[in-house]
Amino acid sequence: MIEIRNLYKRYHGPFGGDWVLKDINLTFPSNVSVGLIGRNGAGKSTLLRLIGGMDFPDRGVINRQARVSWPIGLAGGFKGSMTGRQNVKFVARIHGVRRDLHKLIERVQDFAEIGKSFDEPVSTYSSGMRSRLAFGLSLAFDFDVYLSDEATAVGDRAFKQKAKDAFNERVNSASLIMVSHGEGILKDLCQAGVLLEKGHATWFDDINDAIEHYHNTSGKK
Amino acid sequence: MSDMTQPMPHEPRSAMRVTWDVWSAMTLREFIARTTADRMAWFWMIFEPLATIGIMIFLRTYIRGSRHIAGAEFIPWLIVGLMGFYIFKACMTQPMGAIDANKGLFTYRQIAPIDPVLVRCWVEGILRSFIFLLFILIASLFKVDMTAYHAVGVLLDWLSLWALGSGLGVLFSVVAGLVPEAGRIIKMLSFPLLILSGVIFPVTYFPHQAQEYMLYNPILHGLESMRMNYFQYYQSIQGIDMTYLWYWALTSMALGLMMHIHFAPRLKMR
Repeated sequence: MIEIRNLYKRYHGPFGGDWVLKDINLTFPSNVSVGLIGRNGAGKSTLLRLIGGMDFPDRGVINRQARVSWPIGLAGGFKGSMTGRQNVKFVARIHGVRRDLHKLIERVQDFAEIGKSFDEPVSTYSSGMRSRLAFGLSLAFDFDVYLSDEATAVGDRAFKQKAKDAFNERVNSASLIMVSHGEGILKDLCQAGVLLEKGHATWFDDINDAIEHYHNTSGKK
Repeated sequence: MSDMTQPMPHEPRSAMRVTWDVWSAMTLREFIARTTADRMAWFWMIFEPLATIGIMIFLRTYIRGSRHIAGAEFIPWLIVGLMGFYIFKACMTQPMGAIDANKGLFTYRQIAPIDPVLVRCWVEGILRSFIFLLFILIASLFKVDMTAYHAVGVLLDWLSLWALGSGLGVLFSVVAGLVPEAGRIIKMLSFPLLILSGVIFPVTYFPHQAQEYMLYNPILHGLESMRMNYFQYYQSIQGIDMTYLWYWALTSMALGLMMHIHFAPRLKMR
């Protein structure tokens, strides 16, 4: 379970200033996958980064009673000059994996299916290959909550199916909080939804309601 | 699926354990990055000080004429000073880029901005120590006598210079993280410091009044103390005091760590 209480966030700096998130109160129950939806700039990624502990709120608290993954996205997380294998090893080590390192690498390799590129520098990867590696890497760990920031957007059909299967498989033990503009995948993977609008968040028990509401508020259908 | 046995440890790790895991992983990564960044990485690491020593020997032999240092051979004297200065400089300047270079890693909440900084100080220190040993070896092959008179003292002075560089490195990594212009200025200062620390020209050549002011520079204390331990009959100036150096090292380290704690969110976000 993840609890967010009275959370405020804004970005400081010469151009920042306005609140990105204002007075957010949310409770993410265990084993319920949630889709975050909203316009560009509504604060979806910011909220995900805050949940992932990558960033700190200006006010309020986030109470994480679960093992939460890092936000799986396209940017960051990998060093371009190092190979996929080296990056995987590094992330495994900072998560405390020692003895089972080889097993973990095999699992990542199996999921990512990027063949020989696994031993080539990440900077040579296409965005689809990066997201395969990122997703495979996070799924190799036993998190309670996986955070995905558009990581599925660039995947092909086979990869999306694979990601879906992987989550369906662990539907009883893990959940997903995802940011995506792909409504198909949101409906496939999430049960509940959170709509972000002008810094405020609204919880919907059904993802379909959230998407419908989003369509209504964003004007044209 | 039956092979879903999870390799990740189930019970939460202690804070110390997380830090240890992060440091060991980052150390490996940093070593790989430093030594295999390009094909010539190793070559430059050794050639750069070698070239500097070559140029200095040339200058001192043909232009300034005299190579006389009271109580020490010129070449070993120069190698010791230059190596001591390099470990200081590497530990001071390399951490400044560490936060920027590892920005992508803050995706993982286990990693704090202080981690890449400390790891760089550590890795740089190891690499420079290795190069120093290599130079002693090379010099011996060329029949230059490089045996230390008081080896334990040299080692302690070496560690002190390492600590001084790391202390300032930790401090400047925050300063350069918050004010990028400061980083450039600090890097620019390293050449004047080379002269003011008596690396190339012996501090005894300077007029007495200048020496008094030069003693405010803690690097000078470290280098001269190391040379006095290295060469039995080496004559330095009055007032060399390692306690003074350690004041600098510990003060800057403490201040740097406090600033790291205070500014961690801002350093992560930049």
